[in-house]
Amino acid sequence: MKNNDINKQDQEILELLKDYPMPAADAGFYDQALVRATHNGSRRQRNRWLLTGFGAAIAATIAVWMIGGMFLTNPQLPDAGAEIPGVTIALEEPRTVNLVFASATALDSATLTVSLPHGIELSGFPGQREITWETSLKEGKNLLPLTLLALKPAGGELLARLEHDDRDRTFRLRIDVT
Amino acid sequence: MRPHFDRLYRLAWRLTGAKAEAEDLFQELLIKAFGKLDELVEIDEPGSWLCRVMYNLFIDEQRRFARRRMHTVEECQLAGGSLEGLPGADNPLQDNERLEKLQRLDAALEQLSDEHRIVVMLHDTEGYKLKEIQELTGVPVGTVKSRLHRARARLRQILFADGTIS
Repeated sequence: MKNNDINKQDQEILELLKDYPMPAADAGFYDQALVRATHNGSRRQRNRWLLTGFGAAIAATIAVWMIGGMFLTNPQLPDAGAEIPGVTIALEEPRTVNLVFASATALDSATLTVSLPHGIELSGFPGQREITWETSLKEGKNLLPLTLLALKPAGGELLARLEHDDRDRTFRLRIDVT
Repeated sequence: MRPHFDRLYRLAWRLTGAKAEAEDLFQELLIKAFGKLDELVEIDEPGSWLCRVMYNLFIDEQRRFARRRMHTVEECQLAGGSLEGLPGADNPLQDNERLEKLQRLDAALEQLSDEHRIVVMLHDTEGYKLKEIQELTGVPVGTVKSRLHRARARLRQILFADGTIS
């Protein structure tokens, strides 16, 4: 190939590279990032929780949520909130809720965010209303135990949002406190 | 720090090549920077310092960020960017051709190693000077030049083979 051809091709590539697009940050992203950075309470947790095998603690499972095979193929699925499962926990008594996630395929680098109602804490994360983990799901059923503690006699909804690539799904659990 | 946010976000994008990872990296940088505010206020060029910290964070977690690679064009389309903002937006046919070329460039960039992709992104797309890349990455200018040369040669090879360039 002649030098002239190479120079012309390089020029063409350079022009393409200069046009190579990049979306701007979402509106409000900087503000949210600042808030997260200044408040450790909502800081993203980097520790990777191991989602244990389904059979390990099935006896303690009181809420089972399924993510069907369509999770990976249909990002338009509505939230699975038509029938919200519920659990009743006693005030100031830790109670473990096992969430079961079933996935049609292994998911690497999935993000799981748990949002807690006011007055409910997750053991090990005092004062935090939103906790995020990066994790991997194996094909089949995966178990995530969450130990909840009610500090106030008021319940609410726990939200668990699972994201992978550009898809996500949110599940709800009603928590009543006695 | 806020005046540097756009520059930092762009850098995060160019390093990681994907929105979610870019946001993650940006967030991690802010968390780290807030832990070093005393140090930051003493620095003459906080923007450059922040860029270096971001680059080091990226290298530390490169394996994780490398799992997802360039999908820039597709994400632009998903975000509604589509052809808007591309040069020559008055001619739809030309625009489609341009978009297809950018998509093929996107695919070609995926085939580069991270070190080659990052150098070509920073130098040819973002307009960083060789010296600035050296300061950011700690890689000698000679090595940066060599990587840039090889990255372009590889892009030329790929894009010529698929007919993007002639």
